[in-house]
Amino acid sequence: MEAGDVFEPVEYVVTPFICSEYAHGVEENCEWFHSAETPAGRQIRPPTMIHVDKMRILEKNCRKEQRVSGAKGPHARIHYEYHARHHSPAFVGERLIVSGRITDKYVKRGRTYIDYALEVRTADGRLVTTYTDKTLLKYEKEAGND
Amino acid sequence: MTEAGTSGVLGVGAELTGPARVMTSERIQWYDSAMLSAAKGELARVGTNIHTDAEYAKSQGLPAVIADGMISTNWLSSMMLTHFGMDYLERGELRTKFIKPIFLGTLVTARGRVQAVERRESGALSYTLEVWCEDEKGVKLTVGDARVEVAPRR
Repeated sequence: MEAGDVFEPVEYVVTPFICSEYAHGVEENCEWFHSAETPAGRQIRPPTMIHVDKMRILEKNCRKEQRVSGAKGPHARIHYEYHARHHSPAFVGERLIVSGRITDKYVKRGRTYIDYALEVRTADGRLVTTYTDKTLLKYEKEAGND
Repeated sequence: MTEAGTSGVLGVGAELTGPARVMTSERIQWYDSAMLSAAKGELARVGTNIHTDAEYAKSQGLPAVIADGMISTNWLSSMMLTHFGMDYLERGELRTKFIKPIFLGTLVTARGRVQAVERRESGALSYTLEVWCEDEKGVKLTVGDARVEVAPRR
């Protein structure tokens, strides 16, 4: 993975299971993520699931980063920064398209970082989320690499 | 329906408080397994990683198991949702940085403080907040900022 690499997009349909399961896992009890009892009358995808979208797109595009499949790279990644802008909720039943690219890769204080930019839209083009992310590729510092 | 976003107008300096929870291995398992389940579309259980296995964490240079940063991020997002409701989902923003590791047994509290409020021509209120998660001594572990534009109520 290098700066400038553009990911092949991933598509999926938002299901009641993935919304409720994710919300349950973070003890988010707002009913909007568990049923259609919402102002819109449709179950809503938790907004922080943009991070799951990151995992999906890495799974498809980076063989060494297939953490969803249980693969381990040579070094554990460590998430450093999350930045999501919400433009509209995504609802159960909608097909989402996640696209993105690597915006930068650099060494800072002996550690290698990688920056991503992602965008989530519905299949009919409505913008749902824009997202940027900083991740350390390896926690241990490289000797003499600054 | 669970109500969200019913806190009314907040002024500069107003403080928000989210959940206060002890970081446990169960909570880490819940999050990691839920994230995997959501990514796969079927029930999944997390395996060995720096969040679940002390020996593996040490092999990666960490002193012990650390919580996934998305746990504190989700607790902050939940705080924003509680205070701003659908406005947060439609016109909200959250940035978090994981400046210190969160170890097992840490009491983590999500907090926020309104830094600016601006009224738009449309009548909407635009909020800027400092947000963070702190431990029981008040040491900040996750820091960040949030923005939300609250549509005028009719």
